[in-house]
Amino acid sequence: MRRRASLVLLALAVFCTALSPLLRWYAFPRLAKVPAHHYQAVVLEAKDATLIDYATLEPRRVSTVTMVQTLKGNVEQARRVKAATGRDVVVWDTLTYAAGPDGAMVSRIPERYVFDAHSQQPVHAGGEHVDDTPVRRDGIEFKWPFLVEKRDYRYFDLMTRTSAPIHYKGTRTFRGLDVYYFEQTIPWTEVPLPKRLPLGITPDAVRQLGLERWYTTRRMFWVDPVTGAPVNGEEIHREELRWTGHPEKKPVTAFAGHVKIRPDYVADTVATVKAQRRLVLLLTRDLPSGLIALGVALLAAALVLEARDRRAPAPGVPHDGGKPERPPPGEGALSRGGSP
Amino acid sequence: MRALVAAAAGLAAALALVLAVTALGSPGGDTSPEPLLSSPPAHP
Repeated sequence: MRRRASLVLLALAVFCTALSPLLRWYAFPRLAKVPAHHYQAVVLEAKDATLIDYATLEPRRVSTVTMVQTLKGNVEQARRVKAATGRDVVVWDTLTYAAGPDGAMVSRIPERYVFDAHSQQPVHAGGEHVDDTPVRRDGIEFKWPFLVEKRDYRYFDLMTRTSAPIHYKGTRTFRGLDVYYFEQTIPWTEVPLPKRLPLGITPDAVRQLGLERWYTTRRMFWVDPVTGAPVNGEEIHREELRWTGHPEKKPVTAFAGHVKIRPDYVADTVATVKAQRRLVLLLTRDLPSGLIALGVALLAAALVLEARDRRAPAPGVPHDGGKPERPPPGEGALSRGGSP
Repeated sequence: MRALVAAAAGLAAALALVLAVTALGSPGGDTSPEPLLSSPPAHP
């Protein structure tokens, strides 16, 4: 009976010990992925910002510029790309909509981002665009990969439509979470004008005035290293309309402001990330380490049972292997004769 | 010999479980009916 129990314990010990690395290194990379149907809206605000008035081409101070950024997973398109490439992909159709204090549109930039659901690396399957202009990304955008590393990544910039390094600047604590802080600076660069501008103005009309759009930003992200999701983001963003061929003429500030995620959206994002990181930690840390400990304990129990089984006498066999029992002291001496 | 068989059974069960779970994967879902927003929602 003990023998059988020790064999069962041994089988369970091997099961747990083998399951631990299999979960971490085989199952997790295949199970952890961004869901194709993910939908998310984030509101960002720039308080006391500078914004161009396109009617007068003069900058003015405004109380708030609001940006609404929506990400919408296009499941049908993701299935099509998977059928064509064999890769598990996510297709995000996004819209970055900026509005002035009166709610009137400042700019409206749609985008399509196609990326690997597991690694978050861009997938070039056609259809990628920014403001209806085809682009080819070579960096991440919006989200870091699962289990973020303490290193620089390449991050796609919507305005310049190019990727550039985003630098790891250390670990910070943000609302009770240990997060990695990343920063990217885009130097002054000439960028395309958005296709949709206020007052029905077209990019061609702005160009005909002899103006071109320049932009610089310092982009900051606080990223949860487990899920790769940013829990906070800020940008110190400046845009100017410069006079083509006339560097001596004063540029017109189109926008200048410190853009931050609205606090209620930060709180909501932190709560969501805290819930999701538990699941990732379960697969990458808690279950593997728990299973190893359980495997070792089961193996020890199996060995103890086996050792006891070997020491215990088999039923019907004398404890000393069958030698005649030694008589108690005294008895033998009397039986061998001597005094009656 | 019986110990080897027990160990092999444990290993095979672990492999089978992991392969089954990864083969099942996660449910797909459908594209959200929610629109791409052009005004800020009152709350998340």
